[in-house]
Amino acid sequence: MTHRFVLGTFRSEDDVLGVVKAVRARKLSLHDVYTPYAVHGLDEAMGLRPSRLTWVCFLAGAVGFGLTMLFQYYTSAFDWPLNVGGKPYNSLPAFIPIAFEATVLFAGMAVVIALFIRCGLYPGKKAKIPGPRVTNDRFVVVVRLDSADASAEDVQMLMEGFGVEAVDERVGGVA
Amino acid sequence: METQAVTRTADLPDGLAPQGPSVELPPRVTRALQGVSIVGAVLVVVGLLVSTDRTWAAMLLASQYALGIGLAGIVFVALGYVTGAGWAVAIRRVPEAMAGSLPVGALAVVVALVGLPWLYHWTHVDLSADPILEAKSWWLNTGGFVVRAVLYLAVWLGLTRAIRRNSERQDATHGVEETRRNVLLSAVFLIAFGFTFSAASFDWIMSLEPHWYSTVFGIYTFSGMFTCGLAVFILLLAALKRMGKLAVLRESHLHDLGRLLFGFATFWGYIWFCQYMLIWYGAIPEETAYYLLREQGAWHVLSVMNPIVNWLIPFLILLPRPAKRNLGLLVKVCVLILLGHWLDLFVMINPTVMADGPVLGLWEIAPLMVALPWVVLATFKALGGRNLVPEGDPYLVESLHHHT
Repeated sequence: MTHRFVLGTFRSEDDVLGVVKAVRARKLSLHDVYTPYAVHGLDEAMGLRPSRLTWVCFLAGAVGFGLTMLFQYYTSAFDWPLNVGGKPYNSLPAFIPIAFEATVLFAGMAVVIALFIRCGLYPGKKAKIPGPRVTNDRFVVVVRLDSADASAEDVQMLMEGFGVEAVDERVGGVA
Repeated sequence: METQAVTRTADLPDGLAPQGPSVELPPRVTRALQGVSIVGAVLVVVGLLVSTDRTWAAMLLASQYALGIGLAGIVFVALGYVTGAGWAVAIRRVPEAMAGSLPVGALAVVVALVGLPWLYHWTHVDLSADPILEAKSWWLNTGGFVVRAVLYLAVWLGLTRAIRRNSERQDATHGVEETRRNVLLSAVFLIAFGFTFSAASFDWIMSLEPHWYSTVFGIYTFSGMFTCGLAVFILLLAALKRMGKLAVLRESHLHDLGRLLFGFATFWGYIWFCQYMLIWYGAIPEETAYYLLREQGAWHVLSVMNPIVNWLIPFLILLPRPAKRNLGLLVKVCVLILLGHWLDLFVMINPTVMADGPVLGLWEIAPLMVALPWVVLATFKALGGRNLVPEGDPYLVESLHHHT
């Protein structure tokens, strides 16, 4: 079935927070919310799960730390031992700064790459947004109509309670 | 700042507006704290007669611990002013009250420094036989030491008093003038503090081993002191919450304090490692002496435990986001950090009087029993003597809606 979407355009973030809560309270399907900036409290209002990117960050950091420690141990103690100031070839304190930098590098790069993959972002990608003003001064709340007989009017009435500026219906996609 | 709306009491949520001097420790807690400090004082006197050197070292440690809590309070407040951080304004009276305990810490330092001849062997060596100490004698001499100690304490106490008084006055005026003045005072304080605290840690702790030096020592002691102070801050918030006070405290405030705790514990670990690694790498005898002493026997165990307790465990526990918003878990980490800060100071101060190995006895505990209860009593007295929320601060509304 092709989805139908109701798009409500709002002027203020308070209205957006209110309408998002009302949409979820009515058990309507909240598809997405487009905002020009990060709105505080919107994640909770939308009921989004906590980001799993933190796990990517942690695991990539741990891998970076482990790999560089192993690499330094192998090169310094086995492959090419150098006498530095008479210290043991396998000297833990000397490995820490590089392992620290590699932890930061791996964690940082991995989390950005994971974010891009998860969001389907790549250089030159065309933005799929309901209209250019969501990058400027308007907020758009998108409700998905799940059944063929669901009425867009109900959603419109609900949105009007929160001072909606314009309501459109789109079929097939939001953008 | 002109554009900031001036907060009126009427704008505040119900139940927040003037609470008056309502925060009080239950009388039996007050009596218990006073009792502990009296017993401690008796033990200190006995300790000075029975085990003089150990007791003076423990008094120095207790004074640094007590002073650190007050200093961390005023540093937090001053940082908030100079960075224009609005988020912590609603809970700012708590670090202000910690700063209110500064006279107790200062008094502890004055009492501990009476032990100058016992604590610091540079006070009574034959300089002609010790060219290193002779070269340092322009700084390390008893007269200069006393004058500097008075100067440090006067600067800290004076500016703290001025900042706290402005903040309190704002409760009545609801103006921005006090904020503007405190921004200036805070900037002056932080610059003065950077120099005086470094110099004080050189004087009071580093000169216990006067041949040794570490240029990062001031930052090292600051990072430990401030991490401990943040832990005290969070524990006070937990106590107030339990007493049913400070309804303005939000999970987001805790989250940010948890992040600061996490960040400063990590900063401490970073500086700990910097100091250790550079001395280990350089392997210059006059620098390595410090760590050689701390790798003898059981001191080695404590030296290794130090970064584990103060950095590794807090780091791993506080890494996930939900941990920083969980007051019960934060309280456990804070208690660990309070113990860890004691361990850190113990490893810094005590090896000079316990070369044969660490000893933990009555004389090590007694000075803490005197100083810390008075820090708690002074902090709660400062909390009770004023509004619990700085209701005249222009940033208050921002703080009440703080969201992370």
